[in-house]
Amino acid sequence: MSQLTLNTQWAGTSSRREWLCRSGAGFGSMALQTMLGDEVVAEATQPLAPKQPHFVPQAKHVIHIFLNGGPSHVDTFDPKPELTKYGGRPLPMANLRTERPTGVGLASPFKFKRYGESGLEVSELFSKTAKFADEMCIIRSMHADVPNHEPSLLLMNCGEARLVRPSVGAWMTYGLGTENQNLPAFIAMCPGGYPIQESQNWQAGFLPGVYQGTHVDTQHTEIEKLIENIRNQRVTTAQQGDQLELLRELNRRHQEQRPTDAKLEARIQSFELAFRMQREAAEAFDVSREPQYTLDLYGAGTQARQILIARRLVERGVRYIQVWHGAGQPWDSHDDLEKNHRRLAGQCDQAIAALLSDLKQRGLLDETLVMWGGEFGRTPTVELPKKGANQGRINGRDHNNHGFTVWLAGGGVQGGLAYGATDDFGFRAEENRVHVHDLHATLLHLMGFDHERFTYRYAGRDFRLTDVHGRVVRDLIA
Amino acid sequence: MISMRHLRWGFCQIAVGALLTCLLLAPLTKAAPTDFSQEEIDFFESKIRPALIKHCYVCHSSRADEIQGELRLDSQAGWQAGGVSGTVIVPGRPEKSLFIAAIRHTAGVANMPPKQKLPAAVVEDFEAWVRLGAPDPRTASTAHPNNDLGEDVASTHWAFQPPQVTPVPSMPGQTWSTTDLDRYVLSRLEGKGVQPAEIADRATLMRRLYFDLVGLPPTFEAIQDFVGNDAPDAYLQLVNTLLESPQFGERWARHWMDVARFADTRGYVFTAERKYTDAFKYRDWLIQAFNADLPYDRFLKLQMAADRLVEATDAEQLAAMGFLTLGRRFLNNMHDIIDDRIDVVTRGTMALTVSCSRCHDHKYDPIPTADYYALYGVFASSHEPNNAPAPLRLVDAQVVNVGVFVRGNPGNRGAAVPRRFLSLLAGPKATPFRDGSGRLEMAEAIVNPQNPLTARVLVNRVWGHLFGAGLVTTPSDFGVRSDAPAQPEALDYLALQFVQEGWSVKQLIRRIVLSSVYRQRSDEGSPAQQIDPENRFFWRMNRRRKDFEAMRDGILAVAGNLDKTIGGPSVNIVGKDYAPRRTLYGFIDRQNLPGIFRTFDFAGPDTHAPKRHETTVPQQALFLLNSPFAMQQAEVLGNRVKTPDDMTTIDNLYRAVLGRSPDAAERQLAGAFLDKARARDARPSIPQSPWKFGYGGLNEEENGIREFAELPYWNGEAWQGGEKIPDPKLGWLNLRAAGGHPGAGPTRAAIRRWTAYCEGEIVIQGALVHSEKRGDGVRGRIVSSRHGVLGDWSVHDRRQVTAVTRLRVEVGDTIDFVVDSRASTDYDSHLWKVDISGHFHGVRRTWNSQKGFHGPLPPQLQPVVRLAQVLLLSNEFQFVD
Repeated sequence: MSQLTLNTQWAGTSSRREWLCRSGAGFGSMALQTMLGDEVVAEATQPLAPKQPHFVPQAKHVIHIFLNGGPSHVDTFDPKPELTKYGGRPLPMANLRTERPTGVGLASPFKFKRYGESGLEVSELFSKTAKFADEMCIIRSMHADVPNHEPSLLLMNCGEARLVRPSVGAWMTYGLGTENQNLPAFIAMCPGGYPIQESQNWQAGFLPGVYQGTHVDTQHTEIEKLIENIRNQRVTTAQQGDQLELLRELNRRHQEQRPTDAKLEARIQSFELAFRMQREAAEAFDVSREPQYTLDLYGAGTQARQILIARRLVERGVRYIQVWHGAGQPWDSHDDLEKNHRRLAGQCDQAIAALLSDLKQRGLLDETLVMWGGEFGRTPTVELPKKGANQGRINGRDHNNHGFTVWLAGGGVQGGLAYGATDDFGFRAEENRVHVHDLHATLLHLMGFDHERFTYRYAGRDFRLTDVHGRVVRDLIA
Repeated sequence: MISMRHLRWGFCQIAVGALLTCLLLAPLTKAAPTDFSQEEIDFFESKIRPALIKHCYVCHSSRADEIQGELRLDSQAGWQAGGVSGTVIVPGRPEKSLFIAAIRHTAGVANMPPKQKLPAAVVEDFEAWVRLGAPDPRTASTAHPNNDLGEDVASTHWAFQPPQVTPVPSMPGQTWSTTDLDRYVLSRLEGKGVQPAEIADRATLMRRLYFDLVGLPPTFEAIQDFVGNDAPDAYLQLVNTLLESPQFGERWARHWMDVARFADTRGYVFTAERKYTDAFKYRDWLIQAFNADLPYDRFLKLQMAADRLVEATDAEQLAAMGFLTLGRRFLNNMHDIIDDRIDVVTRGTMALTVSCSRCHDHKYDPIPTADYYALYGVFASSHEPNNAPAPLRLVDAQVVNVGVFVRGNPGNRGAAVPRRFLSLLAGPKATPFRDGSGRLEMAEAIVNPQNPLTARVLVNRVWGHLFGAGLVTTPSDFGVRSDAPAQPEALDYLALQFVQEGWSVKQLIRRIVLSSVYRQRSDEGSPAQQIDPENRFFWRMNRRRKDFEAMRDGILAVAGNLDKTIGGPSVNIVGKDYAPRRTLYGFIDRQNLPGIFRTFDFAGPDTHAPKRHETTVPQQALFLLNSPFAMQQAEVLGNRVKTPDDMTTIDNLYRAVLGRSPDAAERQLAGAFLDKARARDARPSIPQSPWKFGYGGLNEEENGIREFAELPYWNGEAWQGGEKIPDPKLGWLNLRAAGGHPGAGPTRAAIRRWTAYCEGEIVIQGALVHSEKRGDGVRGRIVSSRHGVLGDWSVHDRRQVTAVTRLRVEVGDTIDFVVDSRASTDYDSHLWKVDISGHFHGVRRTWNSQKGFHGPLPPQLQPVVRLAQVLLLSNEFQFVD
């Protein structure tokens, strides 16, 4: 039984009617409206029906671009001139403890430049994205708890490093529902398979399974490989339409004897939704329907395709979208950082810039929160050779949970802002520290929730995404 | 047996029957005497309590907004547990007490109160009090631990009191009730002014009983037999038959697997072995236990301490301990593994949320943190032996008592807590466990008939499975925040009977399903709907949607396809290569649980699942419409019942799927569907794929293809002339995703054919590649059925772009990509990838020859099969009245 502690009413009478019209379900919905109370139907038929949060939200959708493995902040969005001075020399501070031993300072091989009216400094790796500096709110004082992938991924995604807890996207869809019932509400795109910690990153935890993220392997382009059971090769659409027509009639006759059971009506409607979903999902994931200039804007390759898909999904009302860079931990540059980071950024910089530009142009950026980051950052010091752990090239960086960067854009955040700061070398967040729990509290706030009141009763406790932590960082909000 | 030193139930261990009488008669003796002298108490009350209230409670009591430093000074237990800084008061030793240092404003410690130092006299009083041994009656006068809010819920909350026997209400002049259970329920209903529903008809009862007891639908013939059985005990016979059928154990084992958060994998591991290869042995033990009606107390004891109850070589019984050992492994973090075990034991068997007390005293229930670590010690004193013939077992290890982890932090430990049972149930001075780890003693305390929770919790779970809702709505939380049972007399009656009848689960189920309450109709329409719309009082049966297992098993069963093998290693039940076994045998990967399980609200296998969620989403419909499973079962079913006569076929289908014959209107509807389906199939329609793979020749005069035949053999990667290549007739001729090889002679060209299924304008892009110096290359042509040859290229050891611009196509037009040999037929392997793209009614589409390449397509579903699928999709099949 869902213990919804927020308003489960529909967004308003007009939108309910609108939904019933849009769902166009013929007899089913009509009969339903007359026979049952509206809320009963909403609860029973639509676990994902749009819901009102605690207060008017600034953002309606989230696109989380997840650079899994841990992008280096000192090579991307957190310039450190002092580190350049100490390149090849021991830092004048003790190296903080990370996963593996690190040595002398490793100056960033990338050039930084100021962008936009705000003059935010960004490295050449993201020079295209940086053109939107005035839209970006760069949090340079992020910190997490431990320098290991597994717990840090879970912390970033679920607010808890070890135990089974719902992911941010699951919380969001539980609290807000979704605007398009013909598509999954929460989609996690990851080309080539799973990241580390796998589907736990988008788990529903103790929430109903319907709130779990739907994993889509964007290495594929055929719709039947993207979404399970979305296509039927053995009946045509017309043949299936005939089947559903008969089904509707049989169910109507069955329902005549049981006229007030919302569960029966819910199931009748689910077939109508499924029928439309087959078409709509195929369209949503098919980027070849985009005009050539849009395809050119995003560029070539898998990253471009999945980031473009993210925009198509937002446009269609999908609530929460994660775009993972790839299976495993691609950004984990323990060796050859320069080469690897250049390659990886080259795969996504243009597409991220295109996404921001495209959303802005379509008027969607205001209501879409774009978030960029990994599970942690990387050390300013060079990782020392360690057998079995790295290739011993002495040109990479270790994991760094003490300080790193996440940036936000759109969705009601303050653009052109660099918030907080790490120390002179980028090792530890020093000024205006933002813990992952604080980031979550702020995300929930932007989506219309008081993170302390947004709870779910399970196993005797009222659980929160932020557990007993988190504070809203007001300075990030426009 | 341990003795439960619960003062209110202060009597010794006696036979069960007598004990129950005793439970009724034993007065609730109140409170132990205090351990302090009256003078000491007076000192506390006059000096210490007022000072604490005045100066400390604002930050260190339940009235604080946030308890500072996790330290509570509003109960003895509070300061005894200490705060983030550890122990603050050492009775008798003011100089060792951080509390005293703080109020003295000693340098180096946090000064308390922070702003203003206490008057010197008050500080002296506190010092004197600590020197006296810190006498504090605030908990010493209470027999039970209070909850975190200071309330004595242990003696007031219903679930913590022994089950009560209520005299059976006499119900003169009514005929509805047939059992004592009914009379308890009916009495409550009458009190609410609610009439119970009528008894359901026999066919409905039969479907209901099959669903509840064995999880499978009855056959048409079995329903007919039952409906026509005039014997007065026909219903009882049916109940007994189902209880004795081996499928009973399968159905009820699966229910317990939800409790036990069963899975076949450990959860996330980086590179280590992920599977629990022996998990199925626990599942099979459960099936066997339910079928044998193993008494529930023994059932629980074996699951927690089989190592102490059976021979070390009895691998079959030792598998019972999978209950403890098959949880998630949390990357081998021992604290989390033990937490999971404490949780599955306490919520699973007693509906107590003990895990809440891992970091602080339970906020609502009387479960102090010390209790958690008392149980923690039990599990920390047990280990899993390696390489044992009984892989799922735990055995006792080096005994350890564990200190409270302050705020759950293993690096900050308080004083060691002896291993013992929960103080709520065993009393504040529970005897420490002495027998090894104490696991057996813990299990015995759980199944002790004096335990007010265990029997009620099981009864409530069984009721929940039989009615679709429990008497208590939170089956795994009977704490103070749970709603009291709507029918408390019924719950207590069943719980007491259950224990009295030797903890027989089968007898409990029999007792419930024989009642009128269970046999009611499920209609909502009566006036009672207005009074109790949620049916909390059970004035009708709840209509239930089949759970995932009953849904899938039911489809397999009515299709005639179910493999009824019982037990054995888990099998794959998802995707194309699924086993037609019952769903409980499906392999459960808790880390990446396949979508189908989640879609159908399967219990999350990560932690103990109190009950299943029930959602209705289109992905469920998509599975039933489009999955290989759904279509294959419909196909088996349709083909099995098909006859030359439509009406006979329709009758057969209804009987097979719904267990009844169709009425005239239903026959007519189904007949019309078949007629329409056949008519539709006779018309041309959008093909499954626009591509065909064949061979033929070009008619130069007519500027078109002379003949086209599809290649007859598919080897898994390529279409070719036969199993062996070269084929006697077609030679090396083959087509594969990216290219192919032509055959010899003018009628053996390799032809990849695309057919337009709607009109529009297309362009063709691509390249023909031949990469071999030897031979003389190949010739490629693009030929339209409407416009003739559109392009003609020869390539030899080079790449040639093959483009066609702006071409109009009509429905049914073909575009052929024809490759033949030139003078030489050797070394003619080539690549030819093309994109056909264009606008069709304003929608841009592209067909890529490589992506569109495919082997034989699955055959279309025949009309009868499509009709069979509709019946499988119907609400009538998927719901149980």
